[in-house]
Amino acid sequence: MARMKFICDTERCIECNGCVTACKNENEVPWGIQRRRVVTVNDGIIGQEKSVSVACMHCSDAPCMAVCPVDCFYRTDEGVVLHDKDICIGCGYCSFACPFGAPQFLSKGAFGVRSKMDKCTFCSGGPEANGSVAEFEKYGRNRLAEGKLPLCAEMCSTKALIGGDSEVISGIYAKRVSVRESNGRYPSNDIFGWSTAYGPSGSPAPTPTPADKIPGAKS
Amino acid sequence: MKLNFKTLGACLVAGVLLAACSEPPEIAAKAAKRPDVAPYMGADNSFMTKGWTPGNQGSWTEAINKRNQGQSEYSRVK
Repeated sequence: MARMKFICDTERCIECNGCVTACKNENEVPWGIQRRRVVTVNDGIIGQEKSVSVACMHCSDAPCMAVCPVDCFYRTDEGVVLHDKDICIGCGYCSFACPFGAPQFLSKGAFGVRSKMDKCTFCSGGPEANGSVAEFEKYGRNRLAEGKLPLCAEMCSTKALIGGDSEVISGIYAKRVSVRESNGRYPSNDIFGWSTAYGPSGSPAPTPTPADKIPGAKS
Repeated sequence: MKLNFKTLGACLVAGVLLAACSEPPEIAAKAAKRPDVAPYMGADNSFMTKGWTPGNQGSWTEAINKRNQGQSEYSRVK
């Protein structure tokens, strides 16, 4: 079973924001919501400036799932953490719990009323029928069901951002690191966010939420 | 007796007017989570890629892994 993850290679990211644009366009994300964003540190310092593309990491032990008071989150068999907007009450607990700042809320109306939570879905929609208009309007495209990968990763010009089955993408990254090391450059092989999101290497795979174990699920 | 009719009338009018102040329950029914459909079942639109069979998990995994390798220039450029 595939276990979907993202890797952002900070040695390759050039802060072009192509992933941000791709995500916004593909999922028709409204103004004010940034499912993915590029963060740059040491801006302007030659040799030390690094950029990283950040979105929901679909954590193994997702803190958003743990704190949600209405239990609107679930994990698919592919390890993707999704949520049901029909259940979400927009309380914002998940945004405080998330170490990556993934949950986003649209401020709309008077008194700064928050919308339902919105976040990266690994381009795999939500509980509505795969590829349906209802699913697109609430969650965006379901590219996984179309046999594709998230557009942010697929269109990354430098292939800094790669997404997909963890075994495959970590193999791709390992190959890069070994080539860099053989060239005497960038000996570090740390991947941004992986230890936070998935624990130390060798951690057990997360358990997906079985459909028949979801309280009140319609059969 | 006349006064009683007036009182009764006032009560009826007040009852009708105050009915608008009633509050419907905020949660009509308990929201229930719905089970999601696995991606290997395919999508009901015209954007499906070719080369795999919707409903066949093995064929979907193979297609996704193949697509995954497209992100590696070491396998794309030989």
